[in-house]
Amino acid sequence: MVQINFAQKQVKAKVVYYGPGMSGKTTNLEVVHQRAPDTNRGDLTSISTDGDRTLFFDYMPLDLGTVAGMKTSFQIYTVPGQVYYNSTRKLVLQGVDGVVFVADSSASMVEENLESLRNLEENLQEYGKSLATLPHVIQFNKRDLPDALPVEEMERMLNKHGAPTYEGIANTGQGVFPTLKALASCVLKNIMQERSTTGAPTAPAPAAAAPAGMAGAPAPAGAPMAPAPAAPTGGAPAPAAPGYQAAAATAPQAAPQAGAQPGNLMQQAPPQPVQRPRARAASGAGRPQGQAQAQANKKKQATRTATPAAPQRSKMSVAFTVGFVVVAMAVGALLAGVVMKAL
Amino acid sequence: MIKDEKLRSDRLVFYENDVERLDAELDSFLELARARTALLIDCDGHLVTRRGEPIETAEESIAALVAGSFAATKEMARLLGEDNFNVMFHQGSRDSIQMQLVHHRTLMAIIFDQRTNLGLVRFYAQETTKRIEQLLDSIESEVREEVQLSDDFTDSAQEALDKLF
Repeated sequence: MVQINFAQKQVKAKVVYYGPGMSGKTTNLEVVHQRAPDTNRGDLTSISTDGDRTLFFDYMPLDLGTVAGMKTSFQIYTVPGQVYYNSTRKLVLQGVDGVVFVADSSASMVEENLESLRNLEENLQEYGKSLATLPHVIQFNKRDLPDALPVEEMERMLNKHGAPTYEGIANTGQGVFPTLKALASCVLKNIMQERSTTGAPTAPAPAAAAPAGMAGAPAPAGAPMAPAPAAPTGGAPAPAAPGYQAAAATAPQAAPQAGAQPGNLMQQAPPQPVQRPRARAASGAGRPQGQAQAQANKKKQATRTATPAAPQRSKMSVAFTVGFVVVAMAVGALLAGVVMKAL
Repeated sequence: MIKDEKLRSDRLVFYENDVERLDAELDSFLELARARTALLIDCDGHLVTRRGEPIETAEESIAALVAGSFAATKEMARLLGEDNFNVMFHQGSRDSIQMQLVHHRTLMAIIFDQRTNLGLVRFYAQETTKRIEQLLDSIESEVREEVQLSDDFTDSAQEALDKLF
């Protein structure tokens, strides 16, 4: 669920990459991590097996910068795709605000794609959510495979709710950023739509009964497929469905965002081959150089301020200390007596 | 009543005054327990607030991992017929971390080193947990005027996305 922290002026949303095993979820995240500016990305954290399969989740925060006075960021997760990891997959979906479904385009993966989509719906239902209302985007990955199914066929099989769809070749970076951008756009729109439909101002925590972002404007059947947005050419993805209003990659008119690298990520070329770090750990091992600097920049100053402790607890603390001293003295005296006696 | 519960569970909104009160509790705890850092984390993995020394690695990642491991532990508890395991503890050679469920959807992670000991941390953590639970209860039930995000949030967000991507 979106966390809005007015004290720290922060908005945080959780997005999850979902899909069958080996469809390219982690590769998508690694490309985002590789190419996002240091100032915008956090550590890429992976909990994976020795065989480099995601065991629990991969995670990285992506900072969008200050938006209307609020520091806005996305907490991006992937889930393990293998069928037998469903219990952990379900846990990662808790509090999700948007989903990227990464489908494998191979003709031999049709059943796995459908099973994973069914599983996503089931797991969302456990949290009272549904793809009918949850912002989501579908990426048809591995378009370079010789046996890749036609996009229209995949669309018909997998896109029941008229979500925006993107073609991708994640290991070259193609389609990765347009997909994420479209989802981010949907999620951010959804935040405002939810807030505008919240109840009375007396509500302790404002919320909408159901996200309205997608339900309000369903996509027409057979929504046009967004063009494959090749990263090197900077192709701007067209929105596939009006309800989502996937963002067009227009050149920014305003002054560049502080810390952002010149040129947007969709126009960066050429894509670097993605290498999955072998030994990934919670500490972010395997992350590219330069991240330490970014991390250092992100460190906040210690704000440990000693506020006066509650008097009651101060008394307890004194009592605790006095009690300890008395017991220690008694034990000491006892020991001394024993020693004297022995002598 | 159901609606209120849904409102609370659907969205996390923290107002300035709420976080100040939570911070004061955590500061007080750190002073008494002589722990390094205290984090309040939403069970979805979002960091609510951090007091004490900053963490060397990214705080957001720690928050995600704490929430993840708590979620996994909760699942283990369920399989064993328990409602939950409320406290988790990891001991390291230099630093240790205690994680504790506070209220129904918030976690408190305490990082401490040789300057204190587990007993002291646990003793004051129990007390602080109760106080924070009361505080979160009062925050949830408090009637107040809603603070809105700026009207141009969506447009500004779109601009930011265009710049980033």
